[in-house]
Amino acid sequence: MNIQEYISSGILESYALGEVTEAERASVEQALKKYPEIREELQKVEETLEIVASATAIQPAAHVKEKIMSTIKTAKPEAKIISLTGEQPFWKYATAASIAIALFSSYMAFQYRQLWKADSTELAQIKSENQRMAEDYNVVNQKLDKIQGDLSVMESIAFTKVVMKGTANDTNALASVYWNSSTQEVFLSIQQLKAISKDNQFQLWAIVNGKPVDAGVFDLNFAGLQKMKNINGAVAFAVTIEPRGGKENPTMETMQVIGSVATNPS
Amino acid sequence: MPIFDKGKNIARTKTIEESVLIERLCQRDAAALDYLYDHYSGALYSTVLRIVRKEEVAEECLQDVFIKIWDRITSYDSSKGRLFTWMLNIARNQAIDKTRSKEMSQGRKTDDIDNLVNRIDRQESAESSIETIGLKEMLTKLPEDQRFVIDHLYLKGFTQSELAEEFGIPLGTIKTRTRMAMKELRSILNVT
Repeated sequence: MNIQEYISSGILESYALGEVTEAERASVEQALKKYPEIREELQKVEETLEIVASATAIQPAAHVKEKIMSTIKTAKPEAKIISLTGEQPFWKYATAASIAIALFSSYMAFQYRQLWKADSTELAQIKSENQRMAEDYNVVNQKLDKIQGDLSVMESIAFTKVVMKGTANDTNALASVYWNSSTQEVFLSIQQLKAISKDNQFQLWAIVNGKPVDAGVFDLNFAGLQKMKNINGAVAFAVTIEPRGGKENPTMETMQVIGSVATNPS
Repeated sequence: MPIFDKGKNIARTKTIEESVLIERLCQRDAAALDYLYDHYSGALYSTVLRIVRKEEVAEECLQDVFIKIWDRITSYDSSKGRLFTWMLNIARNQAIDKTRSKEMSQGRKTDDIDNLVNRIDRQESAESSIETIGLKEMLTKLPEDQRFVIDHLYLKGFTQSELAEEFGIPLGTIKTRTRMAMKELRSILNVT
């Protein structure tokens, strides 16, 4: 704590004038215990108040004092009875007081619990909203990464685009392969393939040395590019429909699309 | 009355150690209250009078103040401030409560012209007695903005927050001005 700043805020004057909130009062009382400089300053402030008040004192009429003294004299025995007759009334008061305190504290506890509940519900809402937004953000981010990755493949001159056109089975069908002959990477992009039963899957084949080589199975559940198995020395690519999981050799009758790799790639 | 004689004896010894005084008040020693009254009634009465502005209301108020001091002395905690400050706050609060009480505002409404004139006379006499004591002169030595604050807090019975609200001054400004003014008063009064 910066003591000088604390003092110059004028809080000690407000404290001495009894014009602080409960929280401020507690803070001043704690500061008084901790810092002798603050005690000293408060002492000065209070002395000033006293001196100004004394310097401007006006003596009240004599009857005021008489009245006060006679009031306390008549009140005095009453006070004594309470303190001397001892246990009975004291315990009564103590019991009454503790019941009152208990009632009051349960009420306050209830009130604060309500507040706390409202606050914690709100907090939970904010938290889950925050989490959802973070998730959304991740999804978007992943999509963006994928699009950027796809785009770099499509734009890259290292990749040869092989357009596979529909066969007699489905003349409208169209798909493409992006193939990097040096790194052997294969990416598949679907423009148009008809839906098939769940028991079956599409299978991509590469024709290498006159033989079909498995380049992996796929479903129609992706957008953009799908990475397939690496292929070396392909002259053509084709897609057939096979039982789920694919087969070792293609079922030629089910071929959907086929396309040859351009002989003089750019 | 023996109790008053006893009180006068104590008063003649001039000062009682504050802790002793408090202890005796806690023990319900009427002579201690007598001593307290002799020493502090003037300062407390003028404080109350400045706020309520009517002598008979101020007298009634002062009685309530001393009864409260008597009743609540056991709750006074010297680690939290001086006895005088504690009493001063009881007096200020009592007086401020009084000006806000229904009794007072009804009194104002039912005032007829004669009473009004009377009251103005009394007010003026109260004010002139304040003036003779030199607070006003003391205040003239303060810069304008500090005088304004002290005038309202001390003489007109405003609280800091009322002052802030009524004159549209930020409460923090009122507080620092109060502090500056009190520092200034301290040097005027040669309190180190």
